[in-house]
Amino acid sequence: MSDQAIATEALTKRYRGDVLAVDGVNLRVARGEIYAFLGLNGAGKSTTIRMLLGMIRPTAGHAELFGTRVRPGANDLWRRVGHLVESAAAYPELTVVENLDVARRLAGIEDRRRVDLMIDRLALNAYAGRRAGTLSLGNLQRLALARALLHGPELLVLDEPANGLDPAGVIEIRDLLRDLARHEGVTVFMSSHILGEVDLLATRIGIVHRGRLVEELDSAALEQRRDRRLEVETRDIEAAETALLAAGLTPQRRGDWRLELRDEVALEAPERVAEILVSAGEPPTHLAIARESLEEHFMRLTSGQGAVA
Amino acid sequence: MTALRGALATEWLKSRRSRVPWGVAVGFSIAPLIMGLFMVILKDPESARALGLIGAKAQLTAGTADWPTYWSLLGQAVTVGGSILFAFLTAWVFGREFADRTIRGLLASATPRRTIVIAKALVIATWGVAISGWVLLLSLAIGWLIGLPGWSGSVAIQALATIGLAALLTIVLQGMTAFFAGVGHGYIAPLAWAVATVAASQVLAVLGWGAWFPWAVPAILAGAGGAEVEPVGPGGIAMVLLAAVTGIVATIAWWEWADQTG
Repeated sequence: MSDQAIATEALTKRYRGDVLAVDGVNLRVARGEIYAFLGLNGAGKSTTIRMLLGMIRPTAGHAELFGTRVRPGANDLWRRVGHLVESAAAYPELTVVENLDVARRLAGIEDRRRVDLMIDRLALNAYAGRRAGTLSLGNLQRLALARALLHGPELLVLDEPANGLDPAGVIEIRDLLRDLARHEGVTVFMSSHILGEVDLLATRIGIVHRGRLVEELDSAALEQRRDRRLEVETRDIEAAETALLAAGLTPQRRGDWRLELRDEVALEAPERVAEILVSAGEPPTHLAIARESLEEHFMRLTSGQGAVA
Repeated sequence: MTALRGALATEWLKSRRSRVPWGVAVGFSIAPLIMGLFMVILKDPESARALGLIGAKAQLTAGTADWPTYWSLLGQAVTVGGSILFAFLTAWVFGREFADRTIRGLLASATPRRTIVIAKALVIATWGVAISGWVLLLSLAIGWLIGLPGWSGSVAIQALATIGLAALLTIVLQGMTAFFAGVGHGYIAPLAWAVATVAASQVLAVLGWGAWFPWAVPAILAGAGGAEVEPVGPGGIAMVLLAAVTGIVATIAWWEWADQTG
């Protein structure tokens, strides 16, 4: 039994017109991981997800789920995989219950109680008899997630799972996914634009840019790679800058009011910086260590060409 | 078999809940009503003129108001109308998965894609047969209500069998319509295909090739071409079956092997 839920080998997709959507992506996602797959629009996320689900044929390379090669007819494999690809969709003329019942039948599940269980789990009880065409975007998203979870999959492939949800819904789905991973061993492979959410949820992150996987790291490694800086504000920025330079530090101006320091000594002992400024007659009005958010890290990485990690 | 049963149940539920198959049934029901009205007018043109059903100078050349004329007109209406209305039904059953973006839920599922295609085809065929049967029953009732002369049990059975066969052939020819619903990711391509086949049938029938062109065969079989057109032989029927098999195989192949970006 493979301990990898997802493994891709030089996965590549070139569309007609010589558009290289995915370029030799090697992914390894272990069972029970929550893997966030990040990238700008058009970076190749959806194409990769579709190749993982056998919806698009790779031009080169291949993908394996649980050690089984992905191909369109691998129907036994799909019993173990739940998915939400791009936007949530449902049959508008059918009710929430009927939509889930359609999914239940296609998944080959005899037990009708699974539908009720999912309605409970995704808090859709109040909408169970409503036609899907009348649902809000958030509730449609809940329905799509209920459908993805209906057959108790071992792997969830989710494209923007928090799409359309209100803040309470985002937290609810985050808790649900975390619970599934921790207590039921479900592997979650998700793409998301809500990087704050990803930061709180993912155990590993892969960043794809222009079809290439430019960085892949776990949460501890991400912590280490994040840019840290000491932010300093004083009443006279020029005088403060002169004092810090004289002390052998390398302040950088950020606007008219702020200096940033990345020197090791400043980050390890910010009180030392305060002493320098007080001695120079420029006591700080603001002194704080700032940590780069995942959003800033992502933007820093994708604004340049990026190097393969 | 279990997978097919599940797929059939879901397709049947979706079609039952939609207005489209019911709309097709209502649209089809208009054919015998119009034929009936036509017969009433032919039966008594003077009364029809007096009632304002036709213009004072209208020249009626459709024939006489009797059962044989009624069957002939009905056969043409069912086959030509069926080519468009059954295509409409097929375009909806297959194309709606792309238009509603629900196709993604069908592609990576425990139910094989080919099973879903077969279930859709069977549901279309079921609706097609039911609607055709309903139209034929309605036609009989209308003909009886307006008191058409020239009734013959054997002629009626033969006419009903011919029209029924023509309707059945029209239904099985929808395979390529389903294929174009996939390729075109929606409704426009399959409907364009249906219109193109109707137009091509007219042209090829005039050129004398109608009996061999699959999409012209049902109408010719139902008497649409008149006595001048070459009658449909076993070769023509074989062409229809070949086109039907090609259509369904092409649809399955497309669902199984094409890149699904919809």
